[in-house]
Amino acid sequence: MTAAALARILVVDDEPQIHRFLRPALEAAGYAVERADTAAEALRLAASRAPDAVLLDLGLPDLDGQEVLARLRRFSEVPVIVLSARDREAEKIMALDGGADDYVEKPFGVGELLARIRTALRHRRAADGVPEVVRLPGLDVDLARRQARVDGDALVLSPREWALLALLARNAGRVLTHRQLLTAIWGPAHVEDIQYLRVYVGQLRQKLGPAARLIATEPGVGYRMLDEV
Amino acid sequence: MSPEEGRPDPDALLAAIKAEEPRGRLKIFLGAAPGVGKTWEMLAQARRRRAGGEDVLAGVIETHGRAETQAQLGDLPVLLRRQIPYRGQMLEEFDLDAALARRPGLLLMDELAHTNAPGSRHAKRWEDVAELLEAGISVWATLNVQHLESLNDDVARITGIRPAETLPDRVLEVADEIELIDLPPAELRQRLREGKIYRADTAKRALESFFREGNLAALREIALRRAAAHVDTEVQGWRRRAGVASPWPAAERVLALVGPDPAAEAVVRQAKRLADALHAPWIALHIERAGEGTGSAHAVRGPLALAAQLGADIEVRAPTGGDLIATMLDLASTRNATHLVIGRAAAPLWRRLLGRTLGYQLLRRAPDFVLHIVPALGDAPRRRRSRPATPPSVLPWAGTVALVAAVTGAGVVLRDVLPIEAADMVYLAVVVASAVVWGLWPALLAVALGVLAWDFFFIPPIYTVTIDSPRDVVTALVFTGVAVLTGGLAGRVRAEARAAGARIEGLRRIGAFSRRLGQPTNEPDLLIEIARQAAGLAGRAAVLIARGDELDLRATEPQGESLDEGAWAAARWAWTRGEPTGRGTGTLPSASWRFLPLRTVRGGLGVLGVRSAEDFDDPQLQALEALADQAAVALERVRLATESARAAALEDTQRLRTALLASLGHDLRTPLASIQGAAGTLRTAWNGLTPETRADLLASIEQDVGRMNRFLANITDLTRLESGEVRPRLAPVSVAEVVDAALARLPEALFFAVRIPEGLHVLADAALLEQALFNVLDNALKYSPHGSLVRIRAEAEAGRVAIMIIDEGLGIPAEDLPHVFDSFFRVHRGDRTAPGTGLGLAIARGLVEAMGGRIEARSPGPEAMMAERPGTMITVRLPQAIGTPVNAAEPV
Repeated sequence: MTAAALARILVVDDEPQIHRFLRPALEAAGYAVERADTAAEALRLAASRAPDAVLLDLGLPDLDGQEVLARLRRFSEVPVIVLSARDREAEKIMALDGGADDYVEKPFGVGELLARIRTALRHRRAADGVPEVVRLPGLDVDLARRQARVDGDALVLSPREWALLALLARNAGRVLTHRQLLTAIWGPAHVEDIQYLRVYVGQLRQKLGPAARLIATEPGVGYRMLDEV
Repeated sequence: MSPEEGRPDPDALLAAIKAEEPRGRLKIFLGAAPGVGKTWEMLAQARRRRAGGEDVLAGVIETHGRAETQAQLGDLPVLLRRQIPYRGQMLEEFDLDAALARRPGLLLMDELAHTNAPGSRHAKRWEDVAELLEAGISVWATLNVQHLESLNDDVARITGIRPAETLPDRVLEVADEIELIDLPPAELRQRLREGKIYRADTAKRALESFFREGNLAALREIALRRAAAHVDTEVQGWRRRAGVASPWPAAERVLALVGPDPAAEAVVRQAKRLADALHAPWIALHIERAGEGTGSAHAVRGPLALAAQLGADIEVRAPTGGDLIATMLDLASTRNATHLVIGRAAAPLWRRLLGRTLGYQLLRRAPDFVLHIVPALGDAPRRRRSRPATPPSVLPWAGTVALVAAVTGAGVVLRDVLPIEAADMVYLAVVVASAVVWGLWPALLAVALGVLAWDFFFIPPIYTVTIDSPRDVVTALVFTGVAVLTGGLAGRVRAEARAAGARIEGLRRIGAFSRRLGQPTNEPDLLIEIARQAAGLAGRAAVLIARGDELDLRATEPQGESLDEGAWAAARWAWTRGEPTGRGTGTLPSASWRFLPLRTVRGGLGVLGVRSAEDFDDPQLQALEALADQAAVALERVRLATESARAAALEDTQRLRTALLASLGHDLRTPLASIQGAAGTLRTAWNGLTPETRADLLASIEQDVGRMNRFLANITDLTRLESGEVRPRLAPVSVAEVVDAALARLPEALFFAVRIPEGLHVLADAALLEQALFNVLDNALKYSPHGSLVRIRAEAEAGRVAIMIIDEGLGIPAEDLPHVFDSFFRVHRGDRTAPGTGLGLAIARGLVEAMGGRIEARSPGPEAMMAERPGTMITVRLPQAIGTPVNAAEPV
């Protein structure tokens, strides 16, 4: 494996103990690791070293994590996975709305973190050239022909259901917040109407049948289309 | 008309809402006389209601053996009467508790004015009805108009019979509905003659007395007028609720002067009727005259109580400048009275001759008022003139006789030396002396004895009683005049002094109560003090305090006193009703205790019970009421103090808990994340890791476990400190040594500048002080950049030693300075706090304060160089150890 082929992960956390185990864990999984202890350092490294993914802790000493994310997004589309404490739900949602791709709750298992990193990297590659058909386990979503097939059988969907499924499929592996989904499908006036979403997700799951499990609920946050089971 | 005037009166609306609370409705079947068919009509209507499916219960029905009524009762369910044993016989009475338990939709109660058998809860049946209504049970009742309190005099005048059983007019006024059962007098007399009302013999007598046609016509007119007046009030109530402007001038107000004379009750009733007719409020005024003493206070108590019952405002005044009329007119004008009601009291002849009667003077001096003069009722029972409670004493009479004898004896001995004229003077002195000391009557005795002795011993012919010269007659008259004048004056002075004394005694007692009740700071002590004070007035006392709906006996004096069942019932009644209950009151008067509610504006707190061998007199009751008021206020004060202390403590606990949760969130999760991460990495990627990395990850796990351990130990320490479990052992401790020990526990690669005078000692616990200083230093390092300097200094100042720790770190914002020593407080900078728990400084403060010292923070520090690193100075002050020489001038 050459150095150029190694995906580069930027780890931003002010806790030395986190760096202490993340570096060996990520290196053992075949990634190159950049370490940043402060927001300033993180932004500098994100700009100069063009990492393939960023692990971002929201509690940084010099700058608020949300602000770091916003500044990062001004110049980079790099996938960002937020490291967050479980009781900071509001922060988590804010980060996802603000452009983060995923989140992991502290304390987290290394295996789970690596899986999320893989998804984020894949999504990034996919985003480079949007495929015409998103192939998921047991479900194909043909974006060009506006058609979804479960195990080869075409589904009959209403326009809203299709829009929802297509949006989730296009972002397979990513968490989409309630706000993002509502804004995209119903418009900005309906960002608070989470019950619409619940109803449509319920209908969609019914029509998907065996593939329903692909739409995972992220409690209190939003939904995610699973790209691996 | 201003816009407000058309709007409904908010007070009236409130009253309407209150009236519409789930309270039973009262309907009164009003009749002019017995036998008009009230009970019959009530039963007839009740049976119709019952047929309509309503739950109707006959509470008390007096059929008086009348067949028509008996038939009308039909199959209505009837409540069993209660048997009350009384003096060897069984009395039957309405069973209030059974009715309350049975809760009928509609209860029928005959003869509302009935007086209950002794031993019942209430003295009167209308009070039973009031309780039923309060409990939400609707009541229909019958009533003859002659029983109304305010008509008592009129009825007596018309019929010559004074009804013994009366009920307050307000009972009729609060009735939701009144149905007048009317029967023309001729028909009523016909029914009577037919024996439909009484048996033949009784009926014959009745026809000749009460049931005379004239009587019945007059009573009928009264009843009709009363019923009409009720309709009138209903209309008025509706007008007020609906905001219809009143057609009546609101400015009318009636003032009744109530004195200790036989006309007083008539005055009260007249004023009430007048006020009703005028739709005006009314005031009953009593003016205390010093000369009348406690006897008059007794005499007006009845009429004033009646006035209060009839809805008057009661005013008791002392005369201003001794002038009754001026006092009355003064009040009349300040309260905007328009009508004055006075009684035509039997005035002494001389007053009448001189035109000095009250009525005449008011006519002259109060031309602006409408004056009503009420005659005293001729056949009114003469009120017993109660004398002052003191038993008649022999002393004044014996003393007077002894004085006269002594003076006579001395005069006889000195008869030859002194001129005869001197004897007059000496006897006059005796008369004056006994008038001043004992009052008029002993003085008159002195006059009689003196004149006799003087004549017998000194006036020739000696040893005979002969008054023959005009001089002797004049002397006797002068003696009498002096005795009357002096005795009257002295008597009045004494009475005034006594009244003033009583007033001062009352004030003194109130002052004493509030002083004594102000001392206890907790509720149990206060309750004991209340019981003690009440027992000081009454003999025995008990304090019962409410807990939920129950009363607890909380303090008694003497201790260990207990209450019997009757007393408990009275206590509960006083508590639920907020009225004095038990002995000497209208409710449960047979109880051995009297209970006074302890109430404040915020509601009832409990009751104060008192028991005494004798009946309570007026001053005693007033003092007890004052005590109950003061006790309630004191109790509420103590409770509020306790409550606010508890609220403050709760708030602290709440804040601490919030902070603890936040801290646990961060300080436990971060090491946990790190441990889980390291362990996960070792497990999943063991083969991909170098041995060094493996060792490092294992070490990292160990460190994080240690960190969590420290955190938990800190929490334990703090809990122990805050609960006061830490007991420092104070001894002289060398500051330099303790600082060295604390520094030794910190990483070596840090820079410290230490300047502590040699031999500086503080009074402290060495181990605790070391821990406190370590925490402060640790904190300083946490918030300082690597490589910066931390200074440690100590100096003696006025019996104390200040140890200062100064860093060059990030400093503390001014708004956070007051909180840096609070548990779990951290100056907010993201969630970065290295291994911090927010407990370090809180523990330091706990330790320092446990040793009697103080700790404070200042930022920027005294040597701030750069704006972004203002630094912090934390100063620990402890008492200097005595007898240890210090040389502050010599730095180490």
